[in-house]
Amino acid sequence: MIENKENRVIKIFHGPQHPGITGNMSVELDLVGETIQKARTHVGYLHRGFEKLVERRTIIQAFTIVCRICVPEPDPNEENFARAIEGLAGIEISQRAKYIRVMVLEMARIGAQMLWMGGQSGSVGLGTVAQWSIYDRDLILDLFEELTGGRVYHMYIYPGGVRRELPDGFLDRLEQFLDYLEERLPKYDNIFFDNSTFKKRAIGVGVINQDEALKYGYVGQALRGCGIKRDVRKDNPYLVYDELDFDIPTFDGGDVYARALVRRQEIRESIKILRQVIKQMPTEGDIMQKIPKHRKFKIPKDDILVSSESARGEYNYYMAGDGSEKIRRMQVKGPSLIHGFTLLENMLKGEELSNVAMIMNSLGICPPEIER
Amino acid sequence: MKFSLDIKGTIAPFSAIARAFEHPKTICYPSQKKEKVDGYRGFHTNLLETCIGCANCQDVCMNDAIDMITITEEKNAKNNSGCIPRIDYGRCCWCSLCTDVCPPNSLKLESESIWANEDSNNFLYMPKDK
Repeated sequence: MIENKENRVIKIFHGPQHPGITGNMSVELDLVGETIQKARTHVGYLHRGFEKLVERRTIIQAFTIVCRICVPEPDPNEENFARAIEGLAGIEISQRAKYIRVMVLEMARIGAQMLWMGGQSGSVGLGTVAQWSIYDRDLILDLFEELTGGRVYHMYIYPGGVRRELPDGFLDRLEQFLDYLEERLPKYDNIFFDNSTFKKRAIGVGVINQDEALKYGYVGQALRGCGIKRDVRKDNPYLVYDELDFDIPTFDGGDVYARALVRRQEIRESIKILRQVIKQMPTEGDIMQKIPKHRKFKIPKDDILVSSESARGEYNYYMAGDGSEKIRRMQVKGPSLIHGFTLLENMLKGEELSNVAMIMNSLGICPPEIER
Repeated sequence: MKFSLDIKGTIAPFSAIARAFEHPKTICYPSQKKEKVDGYRGFHTNLLETCIGCANCQDVCMNDAIDMITITEEKNAKNNSGCIPRIDYGRCCWCSLCTDVCPPNSLKLESESIWANEDSNNFLYMPKDK
């Protein structure tokens, strides 16, 4: 406890080299005692500029950059990019490729939620949960390694379809993993979601109300955690999500615990989706449509906006072509932009210093998305 | 803060102790190694018998990681340029686009992926001929 009888304001930087920060960013905090009076988000530690990098490269070359916009869950970026290019170039992908894409996206969603569980539990001092969830995420990464050749950056969803056919017996191994995960989830409930330590820390902390959420345009668990049922997969279905049966979990409360419960339920929904995908995936169909060669792949002078639901909220990709082999302008809006600035700065006012890491984790802030 | 006793939430986390009796999930590297996965995007290999030195791989590489190097040793008769690719692993991002655009399919990626050297020049890698 910091002794501060004169109500003196102390300024500290939470990050960029703080274990509780969710990436290369920092939050400048004005503290009186341990209570936060003012919070300001600082980004600029990455200097990546993905949008500009994409403009300088051909379409095929740009595809390998977009996955780096979000490290924990790169696949929605690949999918959005590919879908935008396909929309502009007028390419229709096969039903089988769509199912494979959904499978990859849902696997990535589970992986991202497991990684979040590690971060969230670590932020409240429950290190065991992090050890477990990171191990289980590794099993998903093993599947990704087998399918795509890469563990974290998959570079698999390509304009025109997907790059590789499923390895022999892959769907069986995926099903085995889902069985294993379903068996594990009640154990996570025991040690994390029902844990009185976590509940006492998380309930009533970082509260968002519905009016605020709608006014500022919060997305993902920030929105569903305060009872608003909104998900791009249902509201504006893409790929084959309209053929799949799943629910959008919502919880009232709007606090860190409600957002954790939304994520807990979303893992179960993803398992449900993956089981349907395994069952319904067509066995025949080209995984890749014929696309022009590297320098000859051009997109017309037109623009398009595509959106999708990542594990942390809605992603939007705006893309404009000018008839050349390069993209004239690409704009990415991930959930972190609004959550990392407006929401975090508002939410941290009046909170305790020890809750900063927990709140940041619950919002799923990913700095490369802000500095895109 | 109001105190309330949550018996289930207090006792349930102790179930984690059961995990201590399970078989360890980690591997003892380097005595024990991870199984290699077919199709993993590791180091490059280039079959010189079929490489035609077209430089498509160099053209598509967004990181400028590929240089075409003149070779004197035996090569494919159709390799008119007399060059083969050399990869800079300080730049490569293992996206595998170079192998996608290779017309004779001579450039490939193997599962091997561990490379450590204190000299940065050693990251200029001549793909194995296989």
